[in-house]
Amino acid sequence: MYETRQINVSKSQVPKLAIIALGIIFAAGLFVVGFDQGHVFSLVYGEQAFTEMYLHELTHDMRHAAGFPCH
Amino acid sequence: MKSSLFIVIVLLSGAFAGLIHGTVNFAIVEPYLDQAIGIENQNLFESGAEEDSPEFWVEYEGYRTWQKSGQILAGVILGTSVGALFGIVFALSRNALPGNNDVKKSLILAGVMWLTLYIIPFLKYPANPPTVGDGETVVLRSILYLSFIAISGISAIGFYQLSKKLKNNKKLLALVGYGVFISAVFFVMPENPDEITAPMDLVYEFRFMSVLGVTSFWASIGIILGLFWRKLSSQKEIDYS
Ligand SMILES: [Zn+2]
Repeated sequence: MYETRQINVSKSQVPKLAIIALGIIFAAGLFVVGFDQGHVFSLVYGEQAFTEMYLHELTHDMRHAAGFPCH
Repeated sequence: MKSSLFIVIVLLSGAFAGLIHGTVNFAIVEPYLDQAIGIENQNLFESGAEEDSPEFWVEYEGYRTWQKSGQILAGVILGTSVGALFGIVFALSRNALPGNNDVKKSLILAGVMWLTLYIIPFLKYPANPPTVGDGETVVLRSILYLSFIAISGISAIGFYQLSKKLKNNKKLLALVGYGVFISAVFFVMPENPDEITAPMDLVYEFRFMSVLGVTSFWASIGIILGLFWRKLSSQKEIDYS
């Protein structure tokens, strides 16, 4: 499987699965820090999460500091 | 290098660089966030929405401590995330990047991404401390900001592809092309709709510290991923056949 596939430097063939995995991590992390308004916690705690917005509060200061739109 | 090793060093580099970013922010950006939130509190007292009571301050301290402790954790999450993007682009562009070793190549790419994905979008939509943004416009502002970053990044790739088709001294034309294109986008895109009511000194100082923080991230990830890559790819030459 892909674990045994290698990055061939001379031909610069980068394994597609590695790219896809990193792409998903990129999108998920960016959403959580930059744009989440309680969606992730709502998967576990339901509607209440939207009012409490724990994740938003935890990523809030970085959101301002890194230039994402906020309040 | 195996795929799994590639993913691990990319994520580790991002997490480290994010840890540095979060720590730098904690030291230099937090004082400005405190000031801005202080103004917000004053406004709350004046409008009568909150009472200037010991209970208010107890609750406020608990809430701010939670937010501040998040700065470093969020730095690690954001760093890992942006680091993943950096790793993808580095792996795909490494052969084409100038520089005679992996650290230089990685730093050059970090510089290009810092400029196209951060500095240029920042000039159009600069960071703002709390109290400036209007909650009603946050979705619109997010769409504008993300769109501008995406347009800048994708057009940079497009003009780079174009430069490969051009002969030696015409390659610079592609760079000029990007400059003209992104300037046009800069003027066409709508302005941030919010009016700034906070003192401008505070806003400008906050922005300056914010840029220092993000710059510390891009410099760190360039160096860290470059060092990892150099160390692990030299071993690879031995067991790579
Ligand atoms: Zn905010």
